Amino acid sequence: MKYRPNEAPVFVIDQSRCIGCEACVQGCMECGTHRGQSLIHLERIDRATTTQTAPMVCMHCEDPTCAQVCPADAIKQDEGGIVHSALKPRCIGCSNCVIACPFGVPRFMAELDQMMKCDMCIDRTSEGLKPMCASVCPSEALWYGTREEFADNRRGELIREFRFGRQDVRTLVYTVVDDLAPGPLDVLRGFERSWLEDPFDLEGGAHDAGLGFS
Amino acid sequence: MSRIPISEEELISRYGPHLNEEPPGGWDGGIVPDRVVQTHCCFCGQQCGIKLKVKDNEVIGFEPWYEFPFNEGKLCPKGVKRYLQGSHPDRLMHPLERDSTSPSGFRQISWDDALNRVASEVRRIQEEHGPDAFAMLSGVSLTNEKSYLVGKFARLALGTANLDYNGRFCMVSAGAGNKKALGVDRAPNPWSDIPLADVVWVAGSNIAETFPITTSYIWKARDRGARLIVQDPRVVPLARTADLFLPVRPGSDSALFGAVLHQLIRNDWLDHEFIDNHTVDFDQAAAAVADMTPAWAASITGVAAARIEEAAELWGTSATGMLLHARGIEQQSKGVDNVLAAINLGLATGKFGKPGCGVSTITGQGNGQGGREQGHKCDQLPGNRDISNPEHREHVAGVWGCDESEIPGKGLSAEEIIEAIHEGSIKGLLSICFNPLVSAPDSNFTKEALDKLEFYSVIDFFLSESAQHADMVLPGSLHEEDEGTATSGEGRIIKINAATEPPGEARLDWEILVDLAERLDRGQYFPFQSSKEIFEELRLASAGGTADYRGVTWERVEAEMGLFWPVPEEGHPGTPRLFEGGKFYHPDGKARFHPIPFRESAEVVDDEYPIWLTTGRVVSQYLSGTQTRRIGALVRQYPEPLCEMHPQLAAQLGVSDGDLITVTSRRGDMVLPAQVVATIRPDTVFIPFHWPGRKAVNQLTNRALDPISRMPEFKVSAVRIDRVDDSQRAGESSEPRPA
Amino acid sequence: MVNLGKSGLDRRALAWGGVGVVLTLALTFLGSDGLRWFDSALIGYLFGLVFAVFAITYRYSVWLRRPPTAMLNRRGWDSFRERPSRNLLSLPALIGSHLLVQGFIRKRSTSRWLAHQFVFWGCILAGLITIPLTMGWLHFQSVGQQADRYQVYFSRVGTVSFDAASIVGWLAFHALDVAAVLVLIGVFIFLRRRLSDPGALAVERSGDFLALAGLFAVSVTGLFLTISSTLLEGQFYPALNTLHALTVILGLMYLPFGKLFHIFQRPANLGVAYYKQVNLDGPQAECRRCGEPFCGIQQVTDVQLVLEQVGFDYSSEDGDNYQNTCPGCRRRQVALAQSLRVGGFG
Repeated sequence: MKYRPNEAPVFVIDQSRCIGCEACVQGCMECGTHRGQSLIHLERIDRATTTQTAPMVCMHCEDPTCAQVCPADAIKQDEGGIVHSALKPRCIGCSNCVIACPFGVPRFMAELDQMMKCDMCIDRTSEGLKPMCASVCPSEALWYGTREEFADNRRGELIREFRFGRQDVRTLVYTVVDDLAPGPLDVLRGFERSWLEDPFDLEGGAHDAGLGFS
Repeated sequence: MSRIPISEEELISRYGPHLNEEPPGGWDGGIVPDRVVQTHCCFCGQQCGIKLKVKDNEVIGFEPWYEFPFNEGKLCPKGVKRYLQGSHPDRLMHPLERDSTSPSGFRQISWDDALNRVASEVRRIQEEHGPDAFAMLSGVSLTNEKSYLVGKFARLALGTANLDYNGRFCMVSAGAGNKKALGVDRAPNPWSDIPLADVVWVAGSNIAETFPITTSYIWKARDRGARLIVQDPRVVPLARTADLFLPVRPGSDSALFGAVLHQLIRNDWLDHEFIDNHTVDFDQAAAAVADMTPAWAASITGVAAARIEEAAELWGTSATGMLLHARGIEQQSKGVDNVLAAINLGLATGKFGKPGCGVSTITGQGNGQGGREQGHKCDQLPGNRDISNPEHREHVAGVWGCDESEIPGKGLSAEEIIEAIHEGSIKGLLSICFNPLVSAPDSNFTKEALDKLEFYSVIDFFLSESAQHADMVLPGSLHEEDEGTATSGEGRIIKINAATEPPGEARLDWEILVDLAERLDRGQYFPFQSSKEIFEELRLASAGGTADYRGVTWERVEAEMGLFWPVPEEGHPGTPRLFEGGKFYHPDGKARFHPIPFRESAEVVDDEYPIWLTTGRVVSQYLSGTQTRRIGALVRQYPEPLCEMHPQLAAQLGVSDGDLITVTSRRGDMVLPAQVVATIRPDTVFIPFHWPGRKAVNQLTNRALDPISRMPEFKVSAVRIDRVDDSQRAGESSEPRPA
Repeated sequence: MVNLGKSGLDRRALAWGGVGVVLTLALTFLGSDGLRWFDSALIGYLFGLVFAVFAITYRYSVWLRRPPTAMLNRRGWDSFRERPSRNLLSLPALIGSHLLVQGFIRKRSTSRWLAHQFVFWGCILAGLITIPLTMGWLHFQSVGQQADRYQVYFSRVGTVSFDAASIVGWLAFHALDVAAVLVLIGVFIFLRRRLSDPGALAVERSGDFLALAGLFAVSVTGLFLTISSTLLEGQFYPALNTLHALTVILGLMYLPFGKLFHIFQRPANLGVAYYKQVNLDGPQAECRRCGEPFCGIQQVTDVQLVLEQVGFDYSSEDGDNYQNTCPGCRRRQVALAQSLRVGGFG
């Protein structure tokens, strides 16, 4: 199953669907361009209160912040818009990119004294194959396919405009929202709504049978 | 006496678990494979398709198999790292005989000597104590061919009634419930029905961690607008986004189902046409729930009445719906009750035999489905036949070419075999791919039992914790070293292909059994030259049974990427969805309602043991961990058991996150770190079960069995928790101590 | 800002390039004792060298004025000066590990490291011989009337003398062959990696291959000269000589533009080492979200300044800056913001 270039498949990350299984983390390590090194991120949001987890691949910004702050000019974007790992000969291991990236993507590999990051499995995508993480992801939180396939199978709208304070960033990778109307995904604004409020009815007061451990 | 020959530490230093971290040749090695083999993951009943890359008779990596329709390339972390179980430093390569004078506890011997010794011990024990004093325990990591062979081997070569399998600790409650209500033991739907459901109800299944691929099916339904109900004592990852969360108290599931049926009846959310034409005994079921109001159920389950009412409305008013259940409701002393109560909900609303409709178990173990239906279950013969049914016995005897009387009757179930060993009536044991020391309840008791065996032989590829007790260890084959078929949780028969050959002197499992049968002078029944020949006989033996494989050929299975049984004749398209047209597998074609009055679990909390304990899995480990505790990347994901508890409970106990606590039940105790999380009921704690010895939560669990399925009550026990203070910690011993 | 003339070239960098050219020519004149020891046969090489010096200086100076580079350059020296004696003492070890032994490559892959070491030392050896030769700093004279005895002269200073037939003599005359063989071994290991490892091939850039091809061409044509003179009694020598000169001159002209420019960038790694030490020892920035320290305040502030210089504005209305949040919390915040737009988090 391979995509042809004219099908223009896209990468979609829908963090809300992540189940934290780490298949992506394990799969990333098997990727041909960086075998043995997992470059994807998987965060626990706050295990004390929730099982929510969040993966993060490189979003491949149109104007990559990481490349702009790189003193060695080592971070390059290819014709397809993929932002690559720092060029190995050039990278001087300063970590500016790690500090600057709005998505927290680049990793400084201390042992290798260089930055590495997700390159959307260029060895696979250049041949029309899905990236490893989007291949294995059991919940399709990481997804790769054509926009038509997405529209046919998934609810929600694709968006790739992000807002960080006064900075707007447009990326190659899309994420999913219910509605495009509110505009770019405003990263700094409001986390007041929880999917499940009070799962155990501890505050509801509707009843406390069985739960009132004393 | 099958005690471990040298200390546990010494055994571990020699036989592991050690961690395999890298593919053969290292990460930096060239990765151009000689060939790529299409096969399946071995780490759960979903049986995801996967391609293994092979170079020089070693598996060096994997590639997603996008074309395989079930998972389309998707894999969980176990699937991704599955290939690292091969080329493993712990791999058993030679037959080993117990020798406490040897520094490694075992000495290498020849296959001839090993098999002769096993045969002579079988003879000695059976001559002294009767044929049933030698038992066999099997595992559902085996292919259909091997499971079938084990069934025939135990009955005709060993001549023992006492054969059972580790699916006894997994799917038997569902199997028994399905047979009673629907007349057949198989998931009623292909998974492609899940996206067609308007409501998906997940009861007692941590799908995100135990069947990760199924989450994509559920999201497909939700993308169509389906509502998701999750019934679980914990906010498991799938529950986090559920439309309705039902946080049941462990052991109260049938009360919740009963109240839902009560609501369905009260609001007339019933499919009367379906009930009248395709079912019997609705009235009895209805009578049993007459008093089960949501308010009553709330007092039992701890789920607010409003949520129960909402669940009933969602289920009752949706045109289509699937209720998926797993070990949470099944691993109880009333597992069959819970399953039957769930099926009642499907029957009452006519949710069977139609697209997007069904009440289905999710098979846990690799070949749990195929293994049990083809022969290594104590009460079944191939084709899901009943070993007590004279006609069924005749059919199988005909295929086997033996006299019907030569086939022993129904034997003891797995836990009962362990009890019989403990009590002394079973003296000898042959086991294959079964690690009861970790997977059976009350592990201190299991250990005492193994210690009492006069002779214990194990066929396995790693020296599991149970195998450490063995007198004779026969090195068998890994999943990727043999070919055959397996049957996934959907009822889809799939083809397992060999990627490599067994290393060293290790042999294919079926060859070992065939050789052993020869030495037991029963070679005439085991003329098999290949796994395929076993399958050809299996087809005949299953023919006419409910699990009818007669029309299945290896070639078709490969070409069509799976075939759903029953396939009664060649050319038959297979049966992805059961019960179409409301035709059930009972002789009258009708399904059975069952009245399910509520009863409590075998053990309930009291002043002495005031906290509910429930157990389960984590995503990075599989069952007793014999394989997955040997893969570095998986071990690091969740290295050791933690005890999940709610901050309210933690506050009452004076425990903070990471503190060591002692969890004590009537059967044993264990010390482990607390993980304080607001995602579990405040009256319940959870501990995963994949670890041995002092890290085994099964030290605490209850041996109480379901009266029908003989399933132990893994999911409900009562415990006490104490914070370990520093003075106690110093004196902490690593040796197992019985309670 | 970079000042570009009508030609599109950077005037300041042009000036620095000019300085580099003048300096090279002056050193050649002085070192060769007023061109006395300058070998006119090497004029082509000198041209290549001068061009390379010009272009490298030009590019280096443009590079150094990019805001992040300029910042790091300043900070590297600042950091060095902060504890000059300690830093000076640690310099040899740093040069050894970061520039010469290159252990960080070995951590990536042993074969890659081996290949790089071969190419690196081959090039160093070749450069140490050919550049002084080309600039007329180095020449050989026979000692007295002894036809087989030579003395090495550095400018007008005579240094060691050796017997042509001795091992030292053989090495002296074949040092470039040794260098070529080292480079070729390295090139072959690199090529083998690229051809056998699909992953390595996928991230291959055309420049990578060009650099290998260039090294290969220079080394092979150089070895041909030796073969011609020792085995073929000088057959084809003039043609081969031209060919070799051509590859070397092209190689020198490629140096500033291709992959091999990293040779000149890499020493900045030392400045980074000092900068990182200062940031490790200094006060730490604490994440605005989780409160955990994640980096030295100095570098976070520096990067924020650079971001402004290159046209980003990650500030928010409350006066905070997004880069004050640790990378992990940035990932969490993106996820939470996304979850909010599809139903909620939790």
